[in-house]
Amino acid sequence: MSSTISGLTFLMLALYGLAAVAALVFYRHPKLANVIPNIITIVAAFTGTTASIIHLLSDANRIYLGNLITSVPYLSFELSMDRLSAFFILVLSILTLAVSIYSIGYLTHYYQRRNVGLFNFLVNLFILAMAGVLLSENMIAFLLSWELMSLLSYFLVIYEAEEAGNQRAGLIYLIMTHLAGAFLFIAMGLIYKSCGSLALSSTLAGAPVWVKNLLFCCFLIAFGTKAGIIPLHIWLPYAHPAAPSNVSAYMSGIMLKIAIYGFIRFVFGMLGAEFQWWGTALLIIGLFTTILGAAYTLVEHNIKRLLAYCSIENIGIILIGLGVACLAFSTGQLLISALALTATLFHLLNHTVVKGLLFMGAGAVLHTTHTKDMENLGGLLKRMPITGVFMLMGSLAISAIPPFNGFVSEWLTLQALFVYIANATSGIKVLLIMTLAALAMAGSFAAASFVKFFGISFLGLPRSENAAKAKEVPQTMLWGMGLLAGLSLLLGILPLVMVRLLDQVVVGVTGATLSSSLRGSSFMMYYPVTVMKNSLTPSTVLIIGIILVITVWLIVRILSWHGKEREYGTWDCGFNGLNARMQYSATGFSKPLRIIFRALYRPNREFEVEPGVSVYFPKSVHYDTTTEPVFEKYLYLPISGALTGFARKFRMIVQTGSIHRYLIYILVTILLLLLYFRCFS
Amino acid sequence: MGYLMAGIIQLAVIIVLAPLVNGIIKKIKALSQKRKGAPLLQLYYDLYKLMKKDMVISETASWIFRVTPYIVMSSVLLAALLIPLSIQLQPIRFMGDVILVVYLLALGRFFMALTGLDTASTFGGMGSSREMMISSLIEPSLLVAVFTVGLLAGSTSVYDMMQNSTLTGLAIFQPVYILTFLALFIVLIAETARIPVDDPATHLELTMVHEAMLLEYSGRYLALMELSAAIKQLLLITILVNLFIPLDEFFHIVNPIMMLGVSLLGYLVKVVAIAVLIAIVEIKTVKLRLFSVPNLAALSFILALLGFFQYWIIGR
Repeated sequence: MSSTISGLTFLMLALYGLAAVAALVFYRHPKLANVIPNIITIVAAFTGTTASIIHLLSDANRIYLGNLITSVPYLSFELSMDRLSAFFILVLSILTLAVSIYSIGYLTHYYQRRNVGLFNFLVNLFILAMAGVLLSENMIAFLLSWELMSLLSYFLVIYEAEEAGNQRAGLIYLIMTHLAGAFLFIAMGLIYKSCGSLALSSTLAGAPVWVKNLLFCCFLIAFGTKAGIIPLHIWLPYAHPAAPSNVSAYMSGIMLKIAIYGFIRFVFGMLGAEFQWWGTALLIIGLFTTILGAAYTLVEHNIKRLLAYCSIENIGIILIGLGVACLAFSTGQLLISALALTATLFHLLNHTVVKGLLFMGAGAVLHTTHTKDMENLGGLLKRMPITGVFMLMGSLAISAIPPFNGFVSEWLTLQALFVYIANATSGIKVLLIMTLAALAMAGSFAAASFVKFFGISFLGLPRSENAAKAKEVPQTMLWGMGLLAGLSLLLGILPLVMVRLLDQVVVGVTGATLSSSLRGSSFMMYYPVTVMKNSLTPSTVLIIGIILVITVWLIVRILSWHGKEREYGTWDCGFNGLNARMQYSATGFSKPLRIIFRALYRPNREFEVEPGVSVYFPKSVHYDTTTEPVFEKYLYLPISGALTGFARKFRMIVQTGSIHRYLIYILVTILLLLLYFRCFS
Repeated sequence: MGYLMAGIIQLAVIIVLAPLVNGIIKKIKALSQKRKGAPLLQLYYDLYKLMKKDMVISETASWIFRVTPYIVMSSVLLAALLIPLSIQLQPIRFMGDVILVVYLLALGRFFMALTGLDTASTFGGMGSSREMMISSLIEPSLLVAVFTVGLLAGSTSVYDMMQNSTLTGLAIFQPVYILTFLALFIVLIAETARIPVDDPATHLELTMVHEAMLLEYSGRYLALMELSAAIKQLLLITILVNLFIPLDEFFHIVNPIMMLGVSLLGYLVKVVAIAVLIAIVEIKTVKLRLFSVPNLAALSFILALLGFFQYWIIGR
């Protein structure tokens, strides 16, 4: 069994490599450079899915895949796959499968404009690097893949480099990702110092407390930056709109989750999640990330930036789950910890599926209308009926509305909170109830945002020429989206299939299993604490719901047998016909909440009127409103300003351009090094 | 009693009773203004008439507009299956809990807000925007209040919560229940678009929240939307009365059918009492400015939070 799994995993890695090579080989023929690598990627993703599912179903936990030991000391790469990695490989493969199908259609609009081969080369290496992070067994391999993943995604973000703002977006991303890398390097050094091994499976049980706390902080900053926790999130809203849509799908769908993987791997596995303040810190950060992410989602009207903020919100929800898991783990309530971790991982999978779908949908909208601004969209449901249905499904799922998958993981997260409130030590309870309130508010903000997202872009009248001329996207793009949309519904109806797989993963991390509480027929879910039987059966809900819809429809048809239908224009208050400008705009839609929370958003208004014959008939009115980027303005700009100022002053003193001084520097350095060598070794 | 029977009784009682609640509230308001008012059963006549009428559908509208009435109706009926009218009626309990109820109502709201935008009318957009705003503000207090009651019962299932309240005696006389009751009462007013949050009697732009979204509906679709709004209102009332004012412990009747009858009668009395309460609030207060609604929501949240603190400190 384990040889099958390792064989399939190697095949997957080799196929991604092959796809990258193929992309380079055919780079002169855009069509070949698009289709051939993508087909190989599809096969690779399929292999990956199979391998990880087989692994999750089998008894084996850790499977050693092999190593590559070089003659340079410490420079060895070891690969292995345990259930946690297998789950993330599964998530990665599912997303890759859908996105690579979609890419075949999406990349056609780059033909003749850009090098599609280069794009596919980078994407496949990017996926390979992510798989590398997940499969690494020692820190050298982990760090190398991690940095590769960051750099390759930077190149993908600036793929459309000459468009305004993209370079700046890439730069911000590069700086932030290096911040993450730096802290990761510090953490690795500390780990090697305290346990003398580079293996990821080593534990730090004997290390002093301050080392563990320091390591936790390093991991929080390193993985937090990559995952996009507030206030380290600032790269996300820039990078996503700049990147091509399929890259956004990868970055938001799986790259953010790789950071969560790292966090679970190191904090639970290596550090043993033993202090209560870790979980508390995670909860507080999760709370703020959720609520602020949701709040910023609401006022955004660039569709891709809206989705980026929504990812931040969902990372917050994931962190809340992780925080509860961490807290319960540290107090020894392993069952609750297992439940919370199940909720976290399930939410993570759901977010990957749904956010992948939504970014692909945003790409489809961009593909036909060439705009990301919701104020220029509208009426797309009639013009792109199938994309519209998929996007509606995605919007419902991300707003945690049954019967889609988002609801199930939200339910599990709420249940984890509920059971932990009932069993926690008293001080934490207040924090937990505030978290619940934040989750509730963020949930409704998300619903409001996605009513806006779908309602403004897909319903009503088109607000621009481009939107009016929109056409349905090519079939491959539809298949890619349809795959994830279907999966989203399926996971929502039959969550237990996934929860049982997840249970295998969670046992490996927390040591507790939920299997005794997953009872009944296979679609039933029970709460793990047997005293309280809270349950959810989405399949029954759906079936009864369908029966109700049919019954209501029949009764209404019978009652109104003779009723006729007539189509007529919408009520326009007696003016001459309705036009698109009379509709509510995206900005208008979120206006009430923007006013209520103006302390948070600090909206700036620009209002210019060009006077005409009279004040009542102005020639033109220009109205623009922007929300202030609080974190950039009050946190990042001061820091970067101080840094550049310091560097400038430093240059005046140290780096004067005089060669004599430089010679003295070299001499002093050599002397100091010799002294160090003399005294300490 | 079988699930099926219980479910059918639930749905039948709720559908039949829901429009009556509106009738009672309207009648009391009319009496307070020294008017005779519309008959108690007016909404039934209206619904019947609307069913028979022809429909005008906007040219701009997509299929969302046509499926929404059915989805909204089914979502409230599904929620109705999860909230037992009486402790004698065991609902399909493995199906879900109070969290599912909250999210099923969110499903209805989501589609209703979409139809507001679907017809490209300004009023619709205004309605959806405001509806989503009010629901965002009120949702935290709803969940905190429900969780507090759930924590007292040790379960999130509505049936378990009801059972626990029955065991506690008249729950409403305990401080924690009083606080959460008041919080949920404000939620009820906000969610059912009543004064002081919205005015169901007018069609002015100033008060347009719920009505604005339904502006383009006519005929049978309007009938469905009106009926589901009434059912949603009755559901929230049911949660209130059954969690906070359990009466079943006062009756000890051996015959289960008789017991159920008595229990349902008690339920009816309680619903009428709450309807009177709502009517009094509508008479005594005025419609708030839209941007004063956050204060009301904050009040509700604080009450719910105080309820939780009560549970936190005293433990029951």
